[in-house]
Amino acid sequence: MADSESEEDYMNMIIEEKPKQETSIQRAARLRKEREERGRPKPKAELQAEQEAATRERLETALPSTNKGFKMMEKMGFKQGSTLGKSKDARKEPIGIQTKDDRSGIGLESEKKRKFREQAEEVLSRAKRSKEDEGDWREMQRQKQKEGRRMKDLANAQRTAERLEDVDFESKDPTKVPLKSINVLWRGLNRQRLEKLREKREKIQLTNSLTSRLPTLAAENDDEDNDYKIAFGSAAESSFVDDDLDDGDEEFEEFEALPVEDRLQKVADFLREKHRYCVWCGDQYPDVAMEGCPGSTESAHDD
Amino acid sequence: MTIKRDTYEDDDSSSSNKRVKVENGSNGVKKEENPYLAHWNDESGSKNEPSNSADLLYSFKRHGTTAKQAHDAEDGPLNPFTGKSLSSNYMSILKKRRDLPVHQQRDDFLSLYQSSQILVFVGETGSGKTTQIPQFVLFDDLPHLNNKMVACTQPRRVAAMSVAQRVAEEMDVNLGEEVGYSIRFEDKTGPNTMLKYMTDGMLLREAMHDNNLSRYSTIILDEAHERTLATDILMGLLKEVVLRRKDLKLIIMSATLDATKFQRYFHDAPLLAVPGRTHAVEIFYTPEPERDYVEASLRTVLQIHATEKEGDILLFLTGEEEIEDTCRKLTMEAQELLRDGAAGPLQVYPLYGTLPPAQQQKIFNPAPPPATPGGPPGRKCIISTNIAETSLTIDGIVYVVDPGFSKQKVYNPRIRVESLLVSPISKASAQQRAGRAGRTRPGKCFRLYTEAAFKKELIEQTYPEVLRSNLASTVLELKKLGVEDLVHFDLMDPPAPETLMRALEELNYLACLDDEGDLTTLGRLASEFPLDPALAVMLITSPEFYCSNEILSLTALLSVPQIFVRPANNRKAADEMKELFAHPDGDHLTMLNVYHAFKGAEAQANPKQWCHDHFLSFRALQQADNVRLQLKRIMEREELELMSTPFENKKYYENIRRALVAGFFMQVAKRDGTGKTYTTVKDEQSVLLHPSTVLAQDSEWVVYNEFVLTTKNYIRTVTGVKAEWLLDIAPVYYDLDEFKKGDVKTALQRTAMKIKRTNEMKAGRR
Repeated sequence: MADSESEEDYMNMIIEEKPKQETSIQRAARLRKEREERGRPKPKAELQAEQEAATRERLETALPSTNKGFKMMEKMGFKQGSTLGKSKDARKEPIGIQTKDDRSGIGLESEKKRKFREQAEEVLSRAKRSKEDEGDWREMQRQKQKEGRRMKDLANAQRTAERLEDVDFESKDPTKVPLKSINVLWRGLNRQRLEKLREKREKIQLTNSLTSRLPTLAAENDDEDNDYKIAFGSAAESSFVDDDLDDGDEEFEEFEALPVEDRLQKVADFLREKHRYCVWCGDQYPDVAMEGCPGSTESAHDD
Repeated sequence: MTIKRDTYEDDDSSSSNKRVKVENGSNGVKKEENPYLAHWNDESGSKNEPSNSADLLYSFKRHGTTAKQAHDAEDGPLNPFTGKSLSSNYMSILKKRRDLPVHQQRDDFLSLYQSSQILVFVGETGSGKTTQIPQFVLFDDLPHLNNKMVACTQPRRVAAMSVAQRVAEEMDVNLGEEVGYSIRFEDKTGPNTMLKYMTDGMLLREAMHDNNLSRYSTIILDEAHERTLATDILMGLLKEVVLRRKDLKLIIMSATLDATKFQRYFHDAPLLAVPGRTHAVEIFYTPEPERDYVEASLRTVLQIHATEKEGDILLFLTGEEEIEDTCRKLTMEAQELLRDGAAGPLQVYPLYGTLPPAQQQKIFNPAPPPATPGGPPGRKCIISTNIAETSLTIDGIVYVVDPGFSKQKVYNPRIRVESLLVSPISKASAQQRAGRAGRTRPGKCFRLYTEAAFKKELIEQTYPEVLRSNLASTVLELKKLGVEDLVHFDLMDPPAPETLMRALEELNYLACLDDEGDLTTLGRLASEFPLDPALAVMLITSPEFYCSNEILSLTALLSVPQIFVRPANNRKAADEMKELFAHPDGDHLTMLNVYHAFKGAEAQANPKQWCHDHFLSFRALQQADNVRLQLKRIMEREELELMSTPFENKKYYENIRRALVAGFFMQVAKRDGTGKTYTTVKDEQSVLLHPSTVLAQDSEWVVYNEFVLTTKNYIRTVTGVKAEWLLDIAPVYYDLDEFKKGDVKTALQRTAMKIKRTNEMKAGRR
């Protein structure tokens, strides 16, 4: 038994590590390192800062009462904390020492400090402000992006609606279609086309008026001129377009005044109902149930 | 220190006898019997007039005279003090003297002087108080008839000398006879002296031997507003002396109006103020603080010169180097202006304490005339330290430029360093400076700082010197003066207790005071020397090191201004010359080499030229020679042996270095590792050797004479020593148990072990 016990003991025994004795080599290395550390010439700035700190500390530390002079003063009746002489307002602390090693005028140092403080304050407050601004800016950018995306979505949805209503609409001459005959939901598309045409025409008219005065240039533009003439038909026609564009269109203006997402939603709802088309799935479903489409809103498609 | 004690140390009874006779008004005192009027006897025999002006003073009732009586006596025709006929020069000066502001109030002064033991007198610089009041006193106090003297103290040596000279002239007597002066290391008085101008420090030293100052009947402390250390101590002392000596009169003279503080201190003594003859001074401030006050000063002076009406300029700067440098630059710039026809000629003069007197006199030269008749005015510009603030009067100054700085002594007992630092002046100082512009006519003062800075940054009054000084030698003096209770000594502005603590500690380590605070024999001896206690102890113990001759020379050299000259435009040549004298073990030995060479035959053939050639200050060396002589006399008097180790002996220099340790063991630094920096022993301040040192091999231990406090700390005038000597010569200070753990302690412990081993080996061998 005793044997087994000792065996157990042996198994459990913790082999205590001897406290590390420094070998002579280690010691020599350590000492050498320490010496080098001491001998290493410190950078001047560091040295001076250290010096100044040491002097400051000394200047702020009162002499201890173990000082021989203090003991001699005690024998003359001095008590710790009292003052010399007979006047009541005698000094307790020695006068401080301020060194000056430049030629800065009186008040410059405090003026510098004041300016520095002001600047520091300003930098701080500006940093704070810019952080706030930064948050705003990010949010605004996000909104902008979102809106841009929705505008694109809207335009796509409108084009789809236009196509689904009338497959050949795009090939038609936009000027030939009275604007108000188009559903207000996508009327904007045709308006845009007309506006683009008008811009082109105005440009041509401007060039023509110029070329009429500069005959040498007129010939070169002849081809283009002809092309446009064919494309736009007569001036009378274009004036018709003008009238159509410039006519008041309350219905359209009302629609345009709505936020982008509302307009998009309106177009999307129209497409779902009439054409079983989902703007966000980008697909036309065979039946009214529209199985497979997560829902009639953008957020339903987010996941 | 050549006070003729024997001449004056008569007992009081004889003098009071004589006073009785005078008060009886008996004009017929037998002059022949009066030993103090022996010089009259030769002439009086031939003249034999019963009541000539020279005899007038005998009819005066002491402390009962009037201005009218004095006036008559002054009119002559014979000098009332010497009996000689008065010169025409005297008469013309007398006329001018009677125009001085103080003269108007001679009767007021006399009545207050006669009725009160202590009087506070306020008169601005230029009122004539320094020259006239002591003379007013002479006519009423009649010290010469009573075997007494009148003393008038001055904070500055130069002032004591020049005022004495002036007053001697005014009184038509020879300087050093009826009127004399006494400054440290120079005494120009004689057995007939009745009026003595002296530095306040000298009067304090005299009090050490004569605690009641019994040779004086009236003591005038002039320029008390300057609050020098010695003046403050004297006031504390005299406050007690006047209680013991009811016959002593005391006049405190101040140039500033805060004299009420003096009144309060002297138990509400009466005050008499003489209005100065001043004009309005317009003060201008800068809108912004200046980046470089020297540059700004230069610009301001040039602007004044180019744009302002006729009138001289006074610019205050801080020190010799700065002043000389600015003088050069200003002269150059002004010449350019003159060439361009933008301004008239400008003559620039420097003024500072260490400037030779002949140079100092130049500031009184008249300003140059315009270059062309009717052209822009010519003027002089004086660039001065704060000497010109109160103690010197220069007529013709209309414009003052004040950058607001001066070099001031600072002392802090915690780091045990006394140093001169450029510091902002006080408001009182700034006002004083501005006042200098209004001496001749309304003037202008340009302050190179903002009004806000004036209000906020400047302290009200300059701190009195007693708050900015190491008090070790003062404490020794006070002990010698018989002041036992230093703690309650009634100073006007007592310093922080730590200042006294340090002073006592230092004197205890120097063995000048015992643990009870009582003077030891060494301390009593040390107080005989007008020296710092450390220097005195070094000198007294030097015979033990067989080098008292050398230490005597060295002590003299350390008591005078810098002997090495290093002109800004010729530094390299100056440094090369210094190398000739350099001793590898340090600056003290180098200075000694210089002195020995100076005393050599080659140099003495033409010492002035020799000094010039070797970039040495002839004045400083000459002064050192004089100081040495004075100190030697004291040594001989105190029977201290003068000796030298033979020069051939290899211990010659070592002995000197050991003797240095005996005085300066509290100013020792040890090198850090192998680096360039040193750490001061006990105070643990990191320091660098001053670039001017000649110490060749970087010695591990050095003693230093001066700690230069700047943003970098330097020790100047250093000599290498050995750790063994420190332990051997100053065992109490180098008690290793009292050292903090650190590099210094470790190194000293190592040395102590080594000494012990060596001693054991020696003992074993025996």
